[in-house]
Amino acid sequence: MSVMEHKPGGLAEVGRFNAVFFEESAEHLADMERLLLSLDPSSPDQESLNAIFRAAHSIKGGAGVFGFDDMARVTHHLESLLDHLRNRELSPTADLVDLVLQSGDVLAMQLAGHRDGAPVDGQAVQDIFTRLEAALSACEPEHPTAQPTALRVETSTPLARRGYHIDFHPSGNILQRGIRLENLFRELAELGELSVTAELGAAAELRTLDPELCHTRWQLRLVSAAAEQEIREIFEFVALDSELDIRVEEAQTAPQPAVTTSVEAPPDLLGRRAYDRDESAPGAFGRRGAEATEASLRVGVAKVDQLVNQVGELVITQSMLAQFAEQLDPVQFEVLHRGLVQLERNTRDLQASIMSIRLVPIGGIFSRFPRLVRDLAAKLGKDVELRTIGEGTELDKGLIEKIIDPLTHLVRNSLDHGIEAPRERAATGKNPVGTITLKASQVGGRILIEVGDDGAGLNREKILRKAAERGLASSDNLSDEEVWQLIFAPGFSTAEAVTDLSGRGVGMDVVLKNVQAIGGRVQVASRPGAGTVFSLSLPLTLAILDGLSVQVGAEKFIIPLNVILESFQPSCADLKQIKGETQVVQVRGDYLPVLPLHRFFGIEKARTQAKEGILVLVDTEGEKAALLVDELLGQHQVVIKSLETNYRKVEGTAGATILGDGKVALILDVGAVVHLDKNRSLQH
Amino acid sequence: MQSAHALQPAFSAGKEYLTFTLGEESYGMDILKVQEIRGYDAVTRIANAPDFLKGVINLRGVIVPIVDLRIKFGLGRVVYDEFTVVIILNVLGRVVGIVVDGVSDVIALTPEQIRPAPEFGAALDTRHITGLGTAGEQMIILIEIEQLMGSADMQLMEAAAN
Repeated sequence: MSVMEHKPGGLAEVGRFNAVFFEESAEHLADMERLLLSLDPSSPDQESLNAIFRAAHSIKGGAGVFGFDDMARVTHHLESLLDHLRNRELSPTADLVDLVLQSGDVLAMQLAGHRDGAPVDGQAVQDIFTRLEAALSACEPEHPTAQPTALRVETSTPLARRGYHIDFHPSGNILQRGIRLENLFRELAELGELSVTAELGAAAELRTLDPELCHTRWQLRLVSAAAEQEIREIFEFVALDSELDIRVEEAQTAPQPAVTTSVEAPPDLLGRRAYDRDESAPGAFGRRGAEATEASLRVGVAKVDQLVNQVGELVITQSMLAQFAEQLDPVQFEVLHRGLVQLERNTRDLQASIMSIRLVPIGGIFSRFPRLVRDLAAKLGKDVELRTIGEGTELDKGLIEKIIDPLTHLVRNSLDHGIEAPRERAATGKNPVGTITLKASQVGGRILIEVGDDGAGLNREKILRKAAERGLASSDNLSDEEVWQLIFAPGFSTAEAVTDLSGRGVGMDVVLKNVQAIGGRVQVASRPGAGTVFSLSLPLTLAILDGLSVQVGAEKFIIPLNVILESFQPSCADLKQIKGETQVVQVRGDYLPVLPLHRFFGIEKARTQAKEGILVLVDTEGEKAALLVDELLGQHQVVIKSLETNYRKVEGTAGATILGDGKVALILDVGAVVHLDKNRSLQH
Repeated sequence: MQSAHALQPAFSAGKEYLTFTLGEESYGMDILKVQEIRGYDAVTRIANAPDFLKGVINLRGVIVPIVDLRIKFGLGRVVYDEFTVVIILNVLGRVVGIVVDGVSDVIALTPEQIRPAPEFGAALDTRHITGLGTAGEQMIILIEIEQLMGSADMQLMEAAAN
């Protein structure tokens, strides 16, 4: 397990996560549209309204993380509107549904703009924005929309066109942060006429040059009717104020460029729109750039599962052939034998490759967070350091995709509600710099992901008060653990103000729902003043396990390797009898109970005497026991398959796997076996 | 066998049934619930399961429970040899195998050929019997296989276990 500070990922890395965001947002948009269209205006289904809201919320979150703030701006308003909808403060009239659908179209267009560089109709974006604002102010006249990121659009009185001189000297790591300068310039070009001059004066000599850093200083000249604030907003997330200098020019004289790159003017709004109507339908976001195709290929999980199964079949066929060939004369059938050896190697390689399709180190998701933490911390005026531990923990791709949203919510919550402001921290004698820790590990049959902060901890009184306000069942006698559970109720939020980050009370119920959907659990531990840790415990259902296969009677079992301490053949002197029935074995001074697996699983014709069999020493949750088996067969990497798909949960097992001979073997849940056996012997 | 039946006109009012035997009785079930028919392979036993649940097998990478209907209903001779037949079903979104005495035929029955089942002493619970069909001289007990496999006493589903 490695502890490391965040290092900025490579460019390709960032591109890959952008691609994930694009895919996810496309899915969310498609979901939103589907749900909206199936909505019955007279009696809207609350669950659908919640789902639509969550889809918009997720897009907003993702757009914020990746710095696509134009999308974040639109979704922020959209989300506020949808919040009114789901709280029944507004009813989904046809007009309103149309507005939301059109907002979806605009988002799809913006998405295509970011992904493929497709032209974005700036007018349409502004129109939808104005209409969203109008709809919002119509339903909450008492608080005008003073959201922090709200963009004021002056549509009625356009300013006269002015010349701006923009001196933009980005920090070296701008490319590593995943910022595409060409998109930035294109966005600027949409405000008016833009000319861009690159100055390479600061670049190092070629042999010392780091190609991943940006050495260019940009001089931009923009003639536009846009206000300076609008230009600054394009640079938001991209450049710190110190890196940007915007001057209004008096006379419109063109500078003398050293190298001039001309950027296309915005598409002619009156002419045929480059962004074709058909392509604006969700699911068809324009053409894919060649880049996106190369970066990743998204394949349905079912297809990969099919591959895994088929290669499993191939391995079995291959080992069957190998067994058969062993009976043949090696001299006479030399060519066949050589061919089979080659086949075995090829099959193993193929199997390994196919397995690796599914497994991804969790570091991939962890590296999404430094940016999020940095941006949010800056927004909130907090100092926060992010530590990530156990990036190497491998997780099934299917699981990885599904824990991104919950983790994002948790990290945001920790930042927003957990970590206190620096002054507050200093006042309580803490390090003014807060720490958020992301930690992944495999514990027994599960993957444990912890999101911890060293902030103020959960506030028991506040949660109880809020729960009472919301009409949730609660009382002052609840234990801390029970109180913490209240935060998972839908719509629960203790934040006083609705901010851009959190406080709408969607976070925790989404987290719980998403984690439960993949068979996981969420636990909270919190101490006032010391911080809060959210633990996500995920099943290994889809993961691969290192296991020891053992024989008991005619059956084979897999014992997860991570719980095994050692295995040995006991001598008679080490074995002791207690009360005539229970046996214990002495291992280096400790007496450990002997747990015969044949008794647990009711297997006949197994070796019942410990001295004839083999003891496998296991340690689970601090409890040690010696499992009695007939024989050790070997160590394997096995694919865990759920018994529940077609059958039901079997006591004492964590699933099943298919062995090399094609037979099914059960995987032991050693913790459960030890626990259940203890209960059974207590009953007797 | 299946492809020949697939060619039958789709508008024929009758439904097709796979008939199988348990002891002396002939049963029929909706052919669309049948995924395939195969021989009996060695199973992996499941601890503390009822005796009619023989265990689980690997069906091309899918783990499938096998229920011996002969044991469940106390019919037929319980032997496992090269003639033992397993019908792999697709019911309730699950894949389940059942062991029967033998598979006989696929027959098409029109609604007129199906009579309501009287209260009688079949080995199966009459709740799962949809009617009696006649094919020539033979009487076939038509069962709602999905309902039968999902019933609590099959103990195949999580909810049924509790």
